[in-house]
Amino acid sequence: MPDSSQANDVASYAAAVRSALAHLPAAEREILLEDLENHLAEVASESELSLRERLGRPEDYAVELRAAYGAASEAAGARPRMPFGNRVTALLRALTGDMPYRALRALLPELAPGWWVLRAYLAVLFLAFVLRDGTNLTPIPNPFSSGGVLQILATLIAIGISVRLGRRAMPVSRGWRGAVVAGNVAIGILALPVLASMGTGSNIAYSYDYSTDPYVAAASAGYYPGVTNIYPYSRDGRPLTDVLLYDQEGRPLVPEKTDLVIDVPNGTDGLPIPNAYPLNERQANGDPVVAPRVALPPLQTSTPTPTPPTPSR
Amino acid sequence: MQADGHPIDTSQLLKGVLDLAVLAVLADHDSYGYDVLRRLRDSGLDGIGDASVYGTLRRLYQAGALKSYVVASDEGPHRKYYGLNDRGRKALDQSTETWESFTKALDHLLNGRSTANA
Repeated sequence: MPDSSQANDVASYAAAVRSALAHLPAAEREILLEDLENHLAEVASESELSLRERLGRPEDYAVELRAAYGAASEAAGARPRMPFGNRVTALLRALTGDMPYRALRALLPELAPGWWVLRAYLAVLFLAFVLRDGTNLTPIPNPFSSGGVLQILATLIAIGISVRLGRRAMPVSRGWRGAVVAGNVAIGILALPVLASMGTGSNIAYSYDYSTDPYVAAASAGYYPGVTNIYPYSRDGRPLTDVLLYDQEGRPLVPEKTDLVIDVPNGTDGLPIPNAYPLNERQANGDPVVAPRVALPPLQTSTPTPTPPTPSR
Repeated sequence: MQADGHPIDTSQLLKGVLDLAVLAVLADHDSYGYDVLRRLRDSGLDGIGDASVYGTLRRLYQAGALKSYVVASDEGPHRKYYGLNDRGRKALDQSTETWESFTKALDHLLNGRSTANA
């Protein structure tokens, strides 16, 4: 076996053994596995066969290793342990012997890359949340805004780093590993309020134009530019027709010129009445213009209590 | 352990005496992990797994019974050698005593049975 592939073999076998022993207390695992790669390299250098062929499955190797390390240490009393520690270890062993647990554990390494990507995404999301004061945050940033491009780039870079960390392609010391674990937990916790603040998205569209009550916004916008028709309603919500509107100078109010065809009614004198609203409009191709659906503001029920007319003498 | 009448499982026996076997091998001369395994197998204990030997070495080292040093090698990886220190030698002596009295007792039992049968 060439040296490089042998080194890969050792690294992947050792990683599998480590992950199978991941449930051990850190101190014990460290002592037990400190020298593992070196030892496996010794074994590998003795033969052309792969480690798996010579030593069996890494999971079984881990079990045997644990047994050889742990079982006799109690008997020899070399490392007296707390009864509580014993119970915990026994419990862990019982749990890890459990089939569903083992199946889940076996699945974890396959799920890990997904988590590497997700944690990078969440980390950048949290950063964006802090930097932008939590406003206008969407699950996927808008690529046509400078902030969005920045966020996407940052996410890609973060994913690269995260995956390298995950695969331990970077030289990672023991202290670093602790920091990475702490980082994972922190990202998981910090992401919660950010995700909660994202909402469902529908209110984002609204908040853009109508920061407040739509009626107020519409009224303050004025009806001149862009207004092509006016739909008057009575106070109690009935649509009105043929309402004649005039401006402050007494001139008929006429809408802007548009592509729409307007059927202008004529007065009895034969002259057109251009300011009878709503205008009877049609599209250029003849289709009727559909009246908008309007939401009428609730009015105070100052309904005119009809005062009975004072009888005149 | 074998109360159910099955023949003795050698790997179960080995577990109990692996410490002693490893100490005995290292008492002869210092050695690295894979070499310890090979020497154990050469002496007839071929049911021993690599992981068991490595785990035992780590534990004895942790318990302070072994010294350890790395020897650089021109071809192949650096090797971690293990050897007995004073504590290890003492442990070996004690274990040897225990083992001898144990086997003596068991020999006596087994011989007594065979003479009784004869």
